[in-house]
Amino acid sequence: MNWLWWRRIFALTQKELLQFSRDLILVVATIYFFTGEVYIAGKGVSLELVKAPIGYMDHDQSLASREWLNKLRPPYFDVKGQITEQSTALKLLDSSQLLGVIDIPPNFQRDLLNGRPTEIGFQLDGSNVVLGNLANSYTGLANAYFNQEWMLKQMKVTPAQALEVPRVDVRQMILFNPEGNNAWFMSISEMMTVMTMLSLFLTAAIVVKEKERGTIEQLSIAPLTPLQILLPKILAVELILLCGIALSIFVVLLPVFKVPFQGSFFLFFLVSAVYVYAVSGLGLFIATISKNLAQVMIISILLLMPIILLSGAFTPPEAMPEWEQALIWLSPLYYYINMGYGIILKGSGLEIIWQNLLALFALGTVLFLFGIRQFKKQFGA
Amino acid sequence: MDFAVQANQVCKRYRKKTAIEDISVDVRTGEIYGLIGPDGAGKSSLMQCISGVLTYDSGEIHVFGQCIDSEKTAEKIKHRIGFMPQGLGLNLYPDLSIEENIDFFANLRGVSAELLTQRKEMLLSVAKLTSFKTRAMKNLSGGMKQKLGLICTLIHQPELIILDEPTTGVDPISRRDFWEMLNRLVMEEGMTALVSTAYMDEASRFHRLSVMHQGKVLEQGSADEIVSKSPGWVVEIETTQPDQVLATLRTQFEIVEQLGQMVRLVAFGQDKNTIESILKNLLNSEELQWHFLPIGLEEFFIQRLKNHSATAEKQLQKQPDLISKSHAKNNTADTSALIKADKLVRRFGNFTAADQVSFEVRPGEIFGLLGANGAGKSTVIKMLTGILPPSEGAGFVANQNMAHSGMAIKESIGYMSQAFSLYLDLTVLENIKLFGRIYGLTGQKLKERIDWVIKIGHLQSVQNETAGSLPMGKRQRLALGCALIHQPKVLFLDEPTSGVDPIGRAEFWRILVRLASDLGVAILITTHYMLEAEHCHRLALMQAGKIVAYDTPYALKQSLKQRKGQVLSFKVTHPYRALSCLEKAGYQDISLFGNRLQLFSKEVKDVSNNVINILKNNQIEVKDTMVLQPSLEDVFVDKIETALAKHELS
Repeated sequence: MNWLWWRRIFALTQKELLQFSRDLILVVATIYFFTGEVYIAGKGVSLELVKAPIGYMDHDQSLASREWLNKLRPPYFDVKGQITEQSTALKLLDSSQLLGVIDIPPNFQRDLLNGRPTEIGFQLDGSNVVLGNLANSYTGLANAYFNQEWMLKQMKVTPAQALEVPRVDVRQMILFNPEGNNAWFMSISEMMTVMTMLSLFLTAAIVVKEKERGTIEQLSIAPLTPLQILLPKILAVELILLCGIALSIFVVLLPVFKVPFQGSFFLFFLVSAVYVYAVSGLGLFIATISKNLAQVMIISILLLMPIILLSGAFTPPEAMPEWEQALIWLSPLYYYINMGYGIILKGSGLEIIWQNLLALFALGTVLFLFGIRQFKKQFGA
Repeated sequence: MDFAVQANQVCKRYRKKTAIEDISVDVRTGEIYGLIGPDGAGKSSLMQCISGVLTYDSGEIHVFGQCIDSEKTAEKIKHRIGFMPQGLGLNLYPDLSIEENIDFFANLRGVSAELLTQRKEMLLSVAKLTSFKTRAMKNLSGGMKQKLGLICTLIHQPELIILDEPTTGVDPISRRDFWEMLNRLVMEEGMTALVSTAYMDEASRFHRLSVMHQGKVLEQGSADEIVSKSPGWVVEIETTQPDQVLATLRTQFEIVEQLGQMVRLVAFGQDKNTIESILKNLLNSEELQWHFLPIGLEEFFIQRLKNHSATAEKQLQKQPDLISKSHAKNNTADTSALIKADKLVRRFGNFTAADQVSFEVRPGEIFGLLGANGAGKSTVIKMLTGILPPSEGAGFVANQNMAHSGMAIKESIGYMSQAFSLYLDLTVLENIKLFGRIYGLTGQKLKERIDWVIKIGHLQSVQNETAGSLPMGKRQRLALGCALIHQPKVLFLDEPTSGVDPIGRAEFWRILVRLASDLGVAILITTHYMLEAEHCHRLALMQAGKIVAYDTPYALKQSLKQRKGQVLSFKVTHPYRALSCLEKAGYQDISLFGNRLQLFSKEVKDVSNNVINILKNNQIEVKDTMVLQPSLEDVFVDKIETALAKHELS
């Protein structure tokens, strides 16, 4: 690999970048993915219960029942009002106008005063599992508050005296994201998903475009090895995506979401570069088996799903079935997320992530060599 | 007279670009009418307007008397029309078999089962496709696909068929086959055909035609009528010293070019005797042989456009200076072959794509590799350029063995493929620069070579335009320039001029001839244009992976002349009837070219008198008789038919 070798690589990389810059739609889409998409994910997707629409059927109409309902507080709940008929309740649940309906039985207050345990009905729309679970646990919490207050009231204990009663208080210390800020988590993981998607798709698209137009023929007849033909494409994708991720970090993550970037920027970009290398190897493979852009799209989506699902971005590995856990190491995104969160939120250094980095590099090299081999087979160079 | 199509001053614009301007065409019922012209002449747009697929901006079109001005009116005559769009078998379904494709089109057109069976059988047998009925369309050769396309267009017995470039990208044999099938069907079914083509030499196939260029009609009438507007002759002179003859003739004639070992002279406005006497004065008639040919549409077209636009003339007269002082002529003391194929074999599974292929190309030689699509030309080129390893045999390119010096070979060859394989979204300059850098040029050297490429390709005015916005001719010159950027000693060209107009092709060949003669470059080229094959010093004709003929164009034509004689061409009043009369009288292998019948004969006089008599007895008048030399296309067809016959015997 002499000077000439690198000069050729340089000329071809420059060509790829030039071609990318001429494709206005691609440029605009890439910029949008790294800014708009990341912003929407950070802002829009929330894992908290906000203004859940709730209705109630109060058959008791007592002080106790009103007090219980009073525990459903904003901003978590939005109590819409009284429903008289069960059929109306069902209709409202069916049409998703309400998330849940509280049913307070008659004699609620009397039973409580007589020291008899009593029950409240809660009909809940569980079709959205996350919201349903959240509503359920928040309602449970509201009920606990009510019970505690009721009990103290029965014991004629004033709130001032209550403080003297010994009780356990959990002092949480949430590390790394003390406020449990969802925007941080969501925007970072969206940024990484965008990286995955684009390194897969851009690489495959660049290669398949040359195949479609027949320009690859001209290159394979020039004194270039397959490595020399393919490496510039990956280098170009690297440069484009590293610029993209810089855009994401310095335009969205830091100024908008105030993500506390704990680790070294350099290390994060290095990790990102290795990641693009790994995924673009897979992109090469897609390009060799596809005949046109439409096929590239379909196969990219096909491969993207397991990569994201296996990565642990949305399901922690521990919660996956065993066979799925065994496949996690195949998803390059798994390593990237481990290292990415580590560097950004925990400030991890190379001494902590080196194993992950090495594994990712090894996986990438296997994919890249596989892609080149397929290419050689196809063009017999 | 009945008209199938009457188009009157039709205009069609696409945003800024004018596709057709003020075009008037009348097609009589029962004739084969041609639209002839290079890419972008407006042929497709006109055909689409006539078949009611495309709306037009002004003018009038009547088809069978019905005015086509809206979808509704077009619908009324659609069942009487068959339309075959451009592109090899693009309207067919690749995964369906021949029969399934036909059935599909029949159902689409609501053809009754009875009629379908009967027509299918008849059409398949005319197309000689009956034995391939169950083969999937994607596995057919180009010529077969085209014939299947025609069958599907004809299945509902249309009265008018509109065929958009049915012969583009198809080799001469399949083209001849296709024309014979069309002739027969038009004759037997009494229908009308409107056919477009980019091949000027197909002009004689039409009864009447319009020559189109840049959205306008240049000339209308029969091929003979059109050409007779600028009367003149083409003279072909055989010589061993083309350079000298060329120089001598240039003093007297404007259009003289060298075609391999032949000098070709085009003289407009002079009669045969004048030319003959000038030639006798200039040349030593004892040593040299020459013969006269009538002017073809191709020469006419170039001449017509020269008067038409000053730029075209300027372009043709400017002789680029290929040799800059920095790289003077390679004194070809070393005349060993630069390309040498030695019994190359390539198999794909059971299929042998190239079988024992051997030939040599020396420095300064232009070598033509001809053959039908799928005959194995591309496979041979791929092996020699090092992208496909041969199964057997050896190849040497630029004195390197391709078995182990692939990279060294790639450094020393230039390659240009039939599809434009440069980057359409990069500018002319960026493309040239990219390839220069790929071949390792830098600094001053790179700059020099870029200037050279721009100069020989006449690309000065479009340097900063994207390659995608260039017209075909300029694109091809750019591609040639990029292939030449590193001064290769060997050049491979795979159908470099398909779709380029005659002026563009003439310009392209001018560069090639000088590359070979001045720089000693060895050139291997494939083409479907027979006139281009004449430019080659030597030709190899491939059929089913084998080379079936390998010689100079002159020798090939001579040997055919010795075996089969000369070509007799009769212009007659009722060509179809004349054809069947002569066939009844026992003459075989008669080809129909519009109003002309052609056949081979060794005893020219006797046969000619005999034919005229037979026709006279049938009340058919022979308007004129010509004796022509066998063309390369005749050679091509003859060799392949012989090879096929041998194959059937064994």
